[in-house]
Amino acid sequence: MNSTLSTALHILWTFSQLSVLGFGGGKGIIPQMHHDVVDNYQWITSDQFAQFYTIGKLVPGPTTIFATLVGYAAMPGRPWLGALIATIGMFVPSSIIMAVADIFWARFEKSPWRAIVSHGLAPAIVGLVWSSVWTISRGTPAGLIPYAITGLVAILMLRTKLSAPVLIAASGVVGIAVLR
Amino acid sequence: MSADASAPAIQSRPSLLQVALAFAAISSTAFGGGQKASIRHEVIKRGWMDSDQFMDGLELAQVLPGPNILNLAIYCGQRARGIPGAIAAFLGASVPPFVIVLIAGALYFKYASNPYVHGALRGCAVGALGLTLGNAFELSWDERDDWLKIVLIIFTAIVVSYFKMPLLLVLVLFGGIGVAREYQRAHKAQAPK
Repeated sequence: MNSTLSTALHILWTFSQLSVLGFGGGKGIIPQMHHDVVDNYQWITSDQFAQFYTIGKLVPGPTTIFATLVGYAAMPGRPWLGALIATIGMFVPSSIIMAVADIFWARFEKSPWRAIVSHGLAPAIVGLVWSSVWTISRGTPAGLIPYAITGLVAILMLRTKLSAPVLIAASGVVGIAVLR
Repeated sequence: MSADASAPAIQSRPSLLQVALAFAAISSTAFGGGQKASIRHEVIKRGWMDSDQFMDGLELAQVLPGPNILNLAIYCGQRARGIPGAIAAFLGASVPPFVIVLIAGALYFKYASNPYVHGALRGCAVGALGLTLGNAFELSWDERDDWLKIVLIIFTAIVVSYFKMPLLLVLVLFGGIGVAREYQRAHKAQAPK
């Protein structure tokens, strides 16, 4: 099997798995994705992972769209193909599940299991979000100033109505001054 | 294909292009939580469904894997026009972000080595980390009424960060314990005094 096809299939398989395990809107997949694409396949570095994740938060649409960029970087010979395959892998499997479930949904409409499952999975998802903080921090600068910015952004996000792109852009301006 | 005569009067039948464009407009302009409200506004204004149907779809979209916005678009598209409608909604909701992120990525690979861009990117990543941290706090606060859930959160965070427990195992094990706990609580609440 030639290496382009082999890489393409690895990309498709990796993101398809993340897609079907993307409970809680996909918030919980970050640590596993980092493990797969940085530690295992070494398609990108931890720094790139953190920056792609950031771009995912900056652009409209779901944050997990940054999978597109991972695919782009994973196939240097054919970046557009890698980007397309990663996107298909990330979004098509969960979408098929949604469409199929909707057809059978009416049967479960009165079932208490819907709330039990979504509330029951929540602690694991939240734990994964904490682990995402740790994962992303492996690719962001260390030191007093970056930690202070991180803490300040967290507080501003919780206490004010400033939007995510505004807070990220403001951090970028500070970064030009002190993190070059 | 003719409209189903038994369907409620509220339902109007959009073209597939209308479905795709409606979600393309939302996915290419709105950020984060605001998108759900935009979708609700659009589909009800256009008469594709009523508020109850929308809320039902939102619940399903949040329970299942995948981005809530994309799942919700598929639900709305499917309710409006069946499977072709679901496909149109999928394309509308995913193609604009795909194109936008690719443009951002192309710029990234072209300019990331410039020291100013590099500094800005590192700063932005620190900001994104702060948002994730704030999100983790916010979500944990919502679980504070049950000590077991807080323990589950801490355990999950540790075994995933330090021992690289695979996602599937995390969901089965810690998700399973959470579901069992939730089942027990629901059962208790229902039991006669």
